Amino acid sequence: MSSANPARDLDEEATATVAARKQRVWDGPTRAMHWLLVASLGFCWWSGVKNELEYHLYSGYAVLWIVLMRLYWGFFGSSTARFTHFVRGPVGIMNYLRTIHHRDSAHSYGHNPVGAISVVLMLGMVLTVVGFGLVAVDVDGLYSGPLSSYVTFKQGRHLAHLHYHWFEYLLWVIGIHLVAIAFYYVYKRQNLVTPMISGSRTVSEAPEEDLKHAPVWRFVLGAVIVSALVYAVSIGFYF
Amino acid sequence: MLVLLSRCLFVAAIACSCFAVVHAVAGPAETAQIKPRQDKLRDMGGALKAINDEIKKGKLDWDNTILPNTQTIKERSGYLLNWFPKGSGPESGVKTYALPAIWQKNDDFVKLGKAAQAEALKLDQVAQTKNGDALKAQVLATGKACKACHDNYRSPDYEKENEE
Repeated sequence: MSSANPARDLDEEATATVAARKQRVWDGPTRAMHWLLVASLGFCWWSGVKNELEYHLYSGYAVLWIVLMRLYWGFFGSSTARFTHFVRGPVGIMNYLRTIHHRDSAHSYGHNPVGAISVVLMLGMVLTVVGFGLVAVDVDGLYSGPLSSYVTFKQGRHLAHLHYHWFEYLLWVIGIHLVAIAFYYVYKRQNLVTPMISGSRTVSEAPEEDLKHAPVWRFVLGAVIVSALVYAVSIGFYF
Repeated sequence: MLVLLSRCLFVAAIACSCFAVVHAVAGPAETAQIKPRQDKLRDMGGALKAINDEIKKGKLDWDNTILPNTQTIKERSGYLLNWFPKGSGPESGVKTYALPAIWQKNDDFVKLGKAAQAEALKLDQVAQTKNGDALKAQVLATGKACKACHDNYRSPDYEKENEE
């Protein structure tokens, strides 16, 4: 039986089509962690350059929390956030690289095999920089890292310099990450930024794969464990 | 026109070399201050770290750690303002993170130096009372007094290189 209002029928059909053409790519926690990491790293950079070490310490803890949570989510999170979903071996990476210059190659679902390298590299480098920061000694001996009592003044100063230089290397890798996103946008006409904000992307055909959400309790459990760990680090494990 | 230009260049070259000579003879006495001053300031940072480490551990060893270190900071800070004679800045040619502003805004520099001395003196007095909370507060106040000077009068480049 047809509806009394054909225009409304059309509207609903259109909405249904659009809904079917939305593919969910990233869950809320993954997106939130991504942008919070951007904001926290930005604040770390500013407070470090300005020698506002009191605030620098807190933003460092925020970065540590986010990275540890992201690692946890890489094992127990939603499907596209998991390392097993995107980390590929040399063969997978080479196969992907062979067609990377094709402008019409298919859009990868989640991180592509090369993007995966930068994800792992960036997470590892952020963790390294934070690690050096935890044991770094402030030249004024005032706002040193929470684990600096385990090293001498001289060792801690050396670690502070490593903390500084590894952040510079990290900035280069972040630069490459941004250039890659620009390359996909301009050359391959693939917008990778919008899905990282909205969580989904528009597809021309019905998606083969859809996001499998991890339950909320699993995020809460991880948050509790990671918070306890970051707290223990912040007091230098002196309970 | 060309003659005038070459004369100007000649005069400029002479002026530059005079300037260089004056600076080259800025005096060994002044430049000799730089290395010991760095060592002493670093010792003070190390002493404050040693005190902060005790605070972090939550166990204050007053006689073996806290008091010797507050004394180091107090004694060294007493000489603080003698370590920066005019001519011991970057123009000396010796590697230093001391900025020329120390001598350009010397009144402010001296004011901050005296404030740091006062805080260092108080730190040692507080340590003698062996009151943990008071010590924590005074360590922060002393560190901030040190930092006030460092923020304006020390080159941020010190973070880039190992200060050996």
